[in-house]
Amino acid sequence: MLTPAELVWLIAAVANGDEAAFERLYAATRAKLFGVVLRILRRQDLAEEVIQEAYVKIWNSAGKFNPGLSSPITWMASIARNRAIDVVRKRGEASIEEEPAAMEVAADTPDPLARREMTEELKRLLECVGRLEPDRQKLVLLAYYNGWSREQLAAKFEAPVNTVKTWLRRSMMDIRECLGL
Amino acid sequence: MMAYSDDHIALAAEYALGTLDADERAQVETMMSIDKDFAAMVQSWEHKLGVLNQMVGSVEPRPEVWERIRAAVGHSEPQAPLVLPEPSATPAALPVEQQAPVVDNSNVIRLTAKIRRWRSIATATSAIAAALVAMVGVGLSVPDLLPDSMRPRPRTQVVEAKAPPPVAKSSAQYVAVLQREGGSPAFILTVDEATKNFTVRKVGASAEPGKSFELWLISDKLPKPRSLGVIGGGDFTSRPVLASYDADLVKAATYAVTVEQAGGSPDGNPHSAPLFTGKLIETVPPPAR
Repeated sequence: MLTPAELVWLIAAVANGDEAAFERLYAATRAKLFGVVLRILRRQDLAEEVIQEAYVKIWNSAGKFNPGLSSPITWMASIARNRAIDVVRKRGEASIEEEPAAMEVAADTPDPLARREMTEELKRLLECVGRLEPDRQKLVLLAYYNGWSREQLAAKFEAPVNTVKTWLRRSMMDIRECLGL
Repeated sequence: MMAYSDDHIALAAEYALGTLDADERAQVETMMSIDKDFAAMVQSWEHKLGVLNQMVGSVEPRPEVWERIRAAVGHSEPQAPLVLPEPSATPAALPVEQQAPVVDNSNVIRLTAKIRRWRSIATATSAIAAALVAMVGVGLSVPDLLPDSMRPRPRTQVVEAKAPPPVAKSSAQYVAVLQREGGSPAFILTVDEATKNFTVRKVGASAEPGKSFELWLISDKLPKPRSLGVIGGGDFTSRPVLASYDADLVKAATYAVTVEQAGGSPDGNPHSAPLFTGKLIETVPPPAR
């Protein structure tokens, strides 16, 4: 994996239309971005489409990347993840749910980073998530990692959608306060 | 940023978290496009939450994905010599008899893709469990938080067979400009003759809120228009749907875009008159190498 500084440099080169840099950027980041969208989409074909659109967008908007606002990998992953969420929201949940690639596949082989490998920012965020009530912790993480809608979360937590809406909002505001935003 | 209400802040946060519905997401995107500070707030949330992706396991996409990205951003052939078994193709169009094996081959690829899909999903690591475990790691107690299904298990690794047989490179590219009569182009459709993958590039059209553009194939050999799917919100939409159609039919067909309800026609039939139409023309003959 390249360092963030190297990725910034590559994105800057991509913004100048450097195709070789784009290929290196892709090689360095594709597996992470694909992992992120595959978790949400649960289907190889959809994930491939999304990843393709995401990199085309990265190519076209590399000039807009602001290293002061975001890290390169977060910026790229946000583009891919937003696209994936758009796809699942627009398809409606049913068409995704009926896929046999069961949601509960979620559970195997966690790969927790050793603490020393976590960035300070991740530790800080996990600390803040950890201050939420246990159910809310899971709610936030399921929403983020699986791209679940309020309806799906409501089904999972056996709560009305409006309640989930309130929980989510409260949780995000708590996290915001904890992070000192 | 202080000026934003809690509602705005929560909306930005939930956008980044991903829990908004399609309409709310569209609303946030509109707000971002007209309000730079709001956009910065959304991005700040995306950045704060984005560190969670450190816990998501990497999964290698298939090599074809890069081929399609490269084609979509308009790259030429790779400079590095490829070890593809290429016949010294003439610049003329592919002879028709080459079509049949290509179609057969795509079936095989689809089957193996299916198997591969299962494997990749099985290898996707549980970021949630990882994050929960990590919270323990950062010194917080999360007793009985992990249900059975989320407990860490020994790491298993599925080694995927990479590099499926390369798709023949010498294929013609077809392009259709979809436009209103006398109007400017709204979509540009490109079709790769060998793979029959198509890409739609949106150039001058955007669907009104709550509506979707859907692409149709119209042929005198088919009883009715066939949907090729909804054109995505992004600049590019690519799909392999055409693979099931006969090559001549694909080349001779008319392509049309209609406006449908969000998510596309529910019954497989178009519900508006074709807004934009066009036919394919060959632009890139099979490359001579």
